[in-house]
Amino acid sequence: MNAVIETRGLTKTYGDVRALDGLDLSIPRGGVYGVLGPNGAGKSTLFRILLGLIRPTAGSAAMMGGPLNDISHMRRTGSMIETPRFPPYLTARQVLRWLALEHGVGATADIPHWLARVGLTEAADRKVRGFSVGMMQRLGVAAALMSRPELVILDEPTSGMDPPGIQEMRALIRSLATEDGVTVVLASHQLLEVQRVCDRVAILNKGKLVREGTVSELTSVGERLRLAVSSADQVLAVLGAKGVRDGEAVLAEVKRAEGPALIRALVEANVDIHEARWVGTDLESIFFTETGAVQAPEADHGV
Amino acid sequence: MVFDALGAEAFRLSKNRLTVFWSVFFIPLLFALGGVLYHLINKSQGDKLAAGAGLPTTPTVTPVNLAEAITFTANLAAQANIGGLILVFMLIAGATVYAGDYRWETWRLISARNDRASLILGKVGVMKILAFSTLLVLLVAAFVFYGTQAVVFQRPVSFHMSGAEALDALLVWLLSYVRIVQYGLIGLLIAVMTRSMMAALFVPLALGFAQSILGIPPFMALMKLHPDGWAAQLLLPGMAYDTLKTLLIPGITQVPITSAALWPAVVSLTAWVLLPLLGALAWFRQQDLSKE
Repeated sequence: MNAVIETRGLTKTYGDVRALDGLDLSIPRGGVYGVLGPNGAGKSTLFRILLGLIRPTAGSAAMMGGPLNDISHMRRTGSMIETPRFPPYLTARQVLRWLALEHGVGATADIPHWLARVGLTEAADRKVRGFSVGMMQRLGVAAALMSRPELVILDEPTSGMDPPGIQEMRALIRSLATEDGVTVVLASHQLLEVQRVCDRVAILNKGKLVREGTVSELTSVGERLRLAVSSADQVLAVLGAKGVRDGEAVLAEVKRAEGPALIRALVEANVDIHEARWVGTDLESIFFTETGAVQAPEADHGV
Repeated sequence: MVFDALGAEAFRLSKNRLTVFWSVFFIPLLFALGGVLYHLINKSQGDKLAAGAGLPTTPTVTPVNLAEAITFTANLAAQANIGGLILVFMLIAGATVYAGDYRWETWRLISARNDRASLILGKVGVMKILAFSTLLVLLVAAFVFYGTQAVVFQRPVSFHMSGAEALDALLVWLLSYVRIVQYGLIGLLIAVMTRSMMAALFVPLALGFAQSILGIPPFMALMKLHPDGWAAQLLLPGMAYDTLKTLLIPGITQVPITSAALWPAVVSLTAWVLLPLLGALAWFRQQDLSKE
């Protein structure tokens, strides 16, 4: 696998606390990769080590095929860690100019383009001291992208954004991966958002990797056929142990190949089928199962 | 990489107009305006006295030597009033440049794409440019001061400075510049260690004050320090500065010094420049920048 990020036994301890505990992770080039985990799972610690903000206690990591302290490799990476802050006396345009100079792309960075792409053209010449959290977030994303990196690391990129902003950010992240060929690695608490935007995800818990794979791989495990029917009892009688009542509907634990035969059998048994669709385990359920986190009665779906 | 950091810092500082004004322009402007006012009041008082005594107000024929402006600026750090104020405002600017990224939590934006030594050296470079600019603007203000004297008192202007005098002025000017940079670097070390703007400002000030107190002869006698000795020179960079100046231009300060103090003074000034810088680089290299 052509990995852009590879960690081997990566460990970071703070006193007695193991923020990362021998993490082995390989993030492939291309697409959008989500890193999930409850608070304290080690997501931010992982990103901070990758970006050289802190040093690991043990283990190794490579980015873009080179060691972490190799600036020539790091310069092919853009990043935004948590809600960014900027010197308050600078305007949005000046912030990007300053960071372009700092990142060695002062002559080539197309600042108006990136301001437009994150929706900040009208606020370009306003001082950032008056910016909302969402606007700071957009500016941070523009700063991460303007050097046209091959890899972008975003920690909670939609934090503090309103729903239209989240939608725009989701579209931007997808377009970076599909149109610009950038590998995007993001961490988010918004699981529905991650499910919508990511190709692959890793779930961390207590500093360890507990699940990894493509979103479809993870969510297809435990896939069931949901049938909205006139008589659930009749269907349950046909299915036996393979059927579970789900309100007025029935969840049939059958393989995709068995679906058409089941529907034919139900039709022949004079059952009216109002709807039949495949439902997978959503990322949220997997997340709570894998991390042992307690799910609130009315879970926040993040949009 | 250093040039990227230097360019970025210079750009950012250029947009921080308040800091640039207070550190580079405020004191020279105050000095120039104060000078103009001083000469005007002096002239007016002189005219009144002359009129009261029934004497004619004839212009003085002694020319104003504009080259004195250069000597005045060169001696900047020795002047407790203007030199001290310049130093305070330079330390304020230094605290902003050196500790600003901790205060604004911006290290994590910049440190991932440049090496840490370059980031610090970029800041040091900008502070050196700022100190140099301040001395240049003060030189202009000094010319204004001396020029105004010529205009107000209708005195002729001259400009004479021998090669030896020019060299002395240049060396003293360099010493003054090093003294400002030296305080700034102490501020840098404190900024990196404490992540605090206030500490970066007040610790070097307190250190400077303590050193000036310790340099007073009774205190030196109390501590059994001799001005020529290694201990006094290494402990008190201000004394090392005065020593070198006195050795360059005998009589320029009141410090009783012999040539035996030359090397201790050179080593002291060098050490007080290099050690804070190297200390800051070493500390910053291993610093956790995720907590700002």
